[in-house]
Amino acid sequence: MTMTKLLAAASRSFTTAFPALVAACGLASGVAGAEEWGTIKGRFLYGGDAPSVAELKADKDLEVCGKHKLVNEELAVGADKGVANVVVFVRDKGVKVHPDAAAEAKATKVVLDNKDCRFTPHVVVVQTGQPFVIKNSDTVGHNSNVATRNNPSNSLIPSGGESSMTFTAEEAIPAQVTCNIHPWMKAWILVRSNPYATASAADGSFEIKNVPAGEVELQLWHEKAGYIGEITVGGKSEKIAKGRRKVKVEAAGTNLGEMVLAPGLFQK
Amino acid sequence: MNRFSHVAFLLAAGCLLSAGCGRTPPASYRLNMVEATKQRLTTEQERQVATVLLAMFGTPDEPVALPETGLDEAKLRLASGPVRSDIVGRKNGLYREHCAHCHGVTGDGMGPTAAFLKPYPRDYRPGIFKFKSTERADKPTHADLLRILRNGIAGTSMPSFALLSEPQIDALVEYVKYLSIRGETELSLMRAYFELDDDAQGILPETREFLVDETLTPIAEKWKSAAAAQIVVPDMPADIDLAESIAKGKELFYGDKANCVKCHGVTGLGDGQANDYDDWSKAIVEINKEIKGGLAKAGETSTSGMSAEDAAEHRKQVAWLGRFSHVVDGDALVPRTIPPRNLRLGVYRGGRRPLDLYYRIHAGINGAPMPAAKGTVPPEDIWHIVNYIRSLPYEFDGELGADRPMVARDRF
Repeated sequence: MTMTKLLAAASRSFTTAFPALVAACGLASGVAGAEEWGTIKGRFLYGGDAPSVAELKADKDLEVCGKHKLVNEELAVGADKGVANVVVFVRDKGVKVHPDAAAEAKATKVVLDNKDCRFTPHVVVVQTGQPFVIKNSDTVGHNSNVATRNNPSNSLIPSGGESSMTFTAEEAIPAQVTCNIHPWMKAWILVRSNPYATASAADGSFEIKNVPAGEVELQLWHEKAGYIGEITVGGKSEKIAKGRRKVKVEAAGTNLGEMVLAPGLFQK
Repeated sequence: MNRFSHVAFLLAAGCLLSAGCGRTPPASYRLNMVEATKQRLTTEQERQVATVLLAMFGTPDEPVALPETGLDEAKLRLASGPVRSDIVGRKNGLYREHCAHCHGVTGDGMGPTAAFLKPYPRDYRPGIFKFKSTERADKPTHADLLRILRNGIAGTSMPSFALLSEPQIDALVEYVKYLSIRGETELSLMRAYFELDDDAQGILPETREFLVDETLTPIAEKWKSAAAAQIVVPDMPADIDLAESIAKGKELFYGDKANCVKCHGVTGLGDGQANDYDDWSKAIVEINKEIKGGLAKAGETSTSGMSAEDAAEHRKQVAWLGRFSHVVDGDALVPRTIPPRNLRLGVYRGGRRPLDLYYRIHAGINGAPMPAAKGTVPPEDIWHIVNYIRSLPYEFDGELGADRPMVARDRF
């Protein structure tokens, strides 16, 4: 028997074996309906002295960008040790979505601004189908290279101009947005098919509203740490494989409290 | 559900045995080690990717095209395998005769000559192609790739293959698509490990639904829909004098809207923003940083004083770095920055027709820092920029300074 025939046979046997498996999967994913919704809250703190922040030097458009103090924003720790820009999202596939969420997403534009030769906010979360706009409030032209796996783009964004787009497929990891004219400019975009994703604020706090009550699995990610593998809650260290943590969502609200992130996590 | 993988694995073992003594082992595909490193795959996971790819795509000598790929296996047979004549005296093995020494048997752009070429030969595996008639993120059309093979790429080591027959060029284009679909499938598989639920125990489901419907089909569909995604180019404005159009183009080139000047430079010599990398080099820069930084840090860290658990974690990390440290030296080309094009040379890689320049400006260049003007610069203005660019090699350049790089005028 030739190699080709063997391979053809291999792919045939693999064809016929699937329907049963597919059916089994379909049954397993049936989830009981959740009528109650709760809010997940928490806060990320840095487990050491706030690291010094490196200043960045603009080497283009000095007459505009040179005026602003530019810093490395990879790890932003506030005065109260809050860690900003930790991405938190519910990773359960097919998680039930609150009835108000879809209309709200369609009506809310997510905006990423090129301002003072940096991107703001540093992390944006966009839902599939939700309008996403990149604008430019600077007096110099920028471009925004959006390296998502689906619908990637790189558009010129002139001063005062904007570029709109939508995404059709969700992604499991934030993608980088860069400006090729000013390579120090970096931001991150996470595309999800549900509203249950956010990034921690400057004080390290985050809130995800209207999550179906019951157990969900959160994914924790940070651009410097990658998937966060360990947190310390109430003085107790907790290894969380691949940055995943199961939490129970109560209708009355779930507060995950203060989660301390060891400095070692960010030394990569 | 491991039947499929067993079959393929036995096959692989069989191939090795049947090669026998004293014969050259059959050509095999290389795994994408940069991505495997990035995803921190285990050896078992690497083996699974190789096994699944073998069953879905076959070997360099015996390629397989599942119907979902939309590829023509007869054409692949003509292009694949060692150079030889078939039963009717037709030459087979065209890819290895004409392409593999630069683009590699795997299509990873790492053939034996690759390290000596600048720019490096294209790595087909990410599915990113620069010179095409489609929007930035879309695949090239079949005709786009035929054009590249017939004309070559000016200013690079890619020659013209116009001496080959049409069916031969056509077969090679089909084979490039096959290698690209295979490479992109490999990337998808490697990236899928992370998304597995814990109960999958780090093993991808070897089901038709996952491998074909969810992984292969979306990649193949992008190739199939390329022809329909061609950029519609309006005619060059006819009611304007060429000199006037060039003047408008010049204004746009230096203006804030099109902003060409920022990278191509005030002089147009490509001396603006030149510190950036293309997508291929960027991936290597990032992984190098992670491994080199990690090794340096591991060298400084002592496990004494660590808890047993932390020490074990540390050893695991060091073992991982050690296992992949060869990626820095052996499995990837040394990354290079990508200089913006010198527009005064009159050399245009993607073709010198006004239409080619229109495509480049409208859609940008995929994989490169060049952004798309589409949506920002109206079509008639793109045409003015095209006219200005085409005039640049012949423009008076007396004020550029003595140390300027060569421009086209110097050669006449």
